Amino acid sequence: MNYYHTLLLCATVALAVWAVMARGLLLSAVMLALVSVAVSLAFFSYGAPWAAVFELSVCAGLITVLFIGAVSLIRREESAKPENRARFHALPLVLAIFAIASWFALPPFFAELSSWIRPGTGGGQIGLALWDLRRPDLLGQVLMLAAGVFVIKSVLPGRTQK
Amino acid sequence: MDKGLLAYLLIPLFSALVIPFAARGREKLADILANVTLLAGLVNLLWLALRPSVIAGGFEEIPGDGLSLLLVTAIYLVAFCVTFFSAWFVPAGMPNRRAYYSLILVSVAAMTGVVTAADFFTLYIYIEVLAVTSFALISTDDSPKGLEGALKYFLLSFPASALILGGIAVLMMTLGSLSYDNLHIFMSSDVPAGPVVFGAALMMLGFLIKSGVAPFHMWTPDAYQGAYAPVSAHLAGIVTKISGVYAVVRMASLLRFFDGRAQGLSALLMLLGLVSIAVGALAALRQTDLKRMLAFSSISQIGYIILAAGLGTPLALIGAVFHLINHATFKTVLFLNSASVEKATGTTDMDKLGGMEHAMPWTSWTSVIALFSTAGVPPLSGFWSKLLIILALWEAGLKGYAVIALLFSTVTLAYFVMMQRKVFFGKKSDAAAAATEVSAPLLAPAVLMSAAIVALGLLFPYVFSYLKMMAGRIIL
Repeated sequence: MNYYHTLLLCATVALAVWAVMARGLLLSAVMLALVSVAVSLAFFSYGAPWAAVFELSVCAGLITVLFIGAVSLIRREESAKPENRARFHALPLVLAIFAIASWFALPPFFAELSSWIRPGTGGGQIGLALWDLRRPDLLGQVLMLAAGVFVIKSVLPGRTQK
Repeated sequence: MDKGLLAYLLIPLFSALVIPFAARGREKLADILANVTLLAGLVNLLWLALRPSVIAGGFEEIPGDGLSLLLVTAIYLVAFCVTFFSAWFVPAGMPNRRAYYSLILVSVAAMTGVVTAADFFTLYIYIEVLAVTSFALISTDDSPKGLEGALKYFLLSFPASALILGGIAVLMMTLGSLSYDNLHIFMSSDVPAGPVVFGAALMMLGFLIKSGVAPFHMWTPDAYQGAYAPVSAHLAGIVTKISGVYAVVRMASLLRFFDGRAQGLSALLMLLGLVSIAVGALAALRQTDLKRMLAFSSISQIGYIILAAGLGTPLALIGAVFHLINHATFKTVLFLNSASVEKATGTTDMDKLGGMEHAMPWTSWTSVIALFSTAGVPPLSGFWSKLLIILALWEAGLKGYAVIALLFSTVTLAYFVMMQRKVFFGKKSDAAAAATEVSAPLLAPAVLMSAAIVALGLLFPYVFSYLKMMAGRIIL
């Protein structure tokens, strides 16, 4: 692993922690988008351009727009109710302990695991992967979209009436 | 993916998409569409599995591995009972009625996807769809308890998904493929299994959390108690079995624990199964709320399935699959009956109930059938599945496990007899004095399921012949 990858992974973790600890929801949404940007850069450098493009366009792009749209709707109410944030301060401490433990324990584990790596089957053209190899998964994604729509339709009417 | 069963995934999905448009302004049409879709599917499945020629041929004509067809039938049967019950139970002015039925149909499609998947990634995607629909179904009842249950489900279910995804990543790295067949071939080879077993262990942990096995059972009682009554039956009857327990059983059959190649994982699974049996049964003894007691009973019964899956011998896997099917039948009856009691009296607090047998004889006696089957009283279906599991343990030389499993079966009988005495028998309470039996359509699903419990028990030789055929196909 070179310094570029290390830097990217550290940036991903730091931005993710910032997204959780940020005081404002807007800042959280922006940090989450930056996490996606860092992850998509990692995908690019690991030779997975299609995954990187999807991560960048859907997670960093579309979902961030949705988040910012939703945040702009609720910002006024949020500022009226200050939140107790003491519990979030433990997060960096927990992460630091985890990082130190991982520094000692994980390298030998990954060294052993990497000796087992076999080339994955499939891959190649995105069209081939989606339509020929992963067709059931695509059907699953359609189901997931339908489920998402019905979740909103199921949860919202009750709340609106109240 | 088993393409022969693809229609059972696509048709409920199609109905789920049609309902919001077709039933706009005609809410009853949502009930009809959902019920007709599931009934048609169920009749079709029964025809596939129970044609006289198929039975006469020892079920050899059954397509696929037999397990998928059996579980899709169980999914459709439980979902049909739930939607039929809901059609009369759900109040007329419910604001999200169409979305409620669509969610149930999407969850049926997702469960069909889970049991027909042929690789772990496809399995994961459908399990995620199931998690999303379950979360929404639990929160259909937007009382504080319903929301608490939904949040607890969310908080435990999504870390479980992360573990499954981690396990999938390790498997992909080490196997180069995620298909069941490849794993099967790999485990049959002489290659040391270390990293593959590690990946499988991560996935197994995720599935165990989703199953609600002790000590990961915290979300189960709150979700079942807080959810809308028919939703509890749907969740306890089939959803948790498919989203967690089925995956554990499937992995157990793939990893060939009985060959000694994943001995540690096998021993851990069996221990967790035993802990779950004990924790669930002992906690159920102390409950005063009917639905909560049923939830703890579920945890205990799932323990039997996990124990058998951990053992992994052909006889144990037959017992595990049969107990999974049985659990779907008797738990659906008990949860639907608890919903009927709640509708008739307005409470599920067992201290306020008593003597309900006079007011609700049908509900009372279908409960007796279901609870006797759960406790393993012959000749009901639960007796045979527990007998198979205990025999498999004894045969494998695990006599201590067998004795403990048998012992907790009597504890199951004890808490259910206590429940029956508190709710249905004994002195007539004020609640019972004002209550009357629920209408025939609300009773019909419980009667149908009770008939299935009796039939599965009395026709056990045929059931065993099917399960033997299935075991021959799923175990290398």
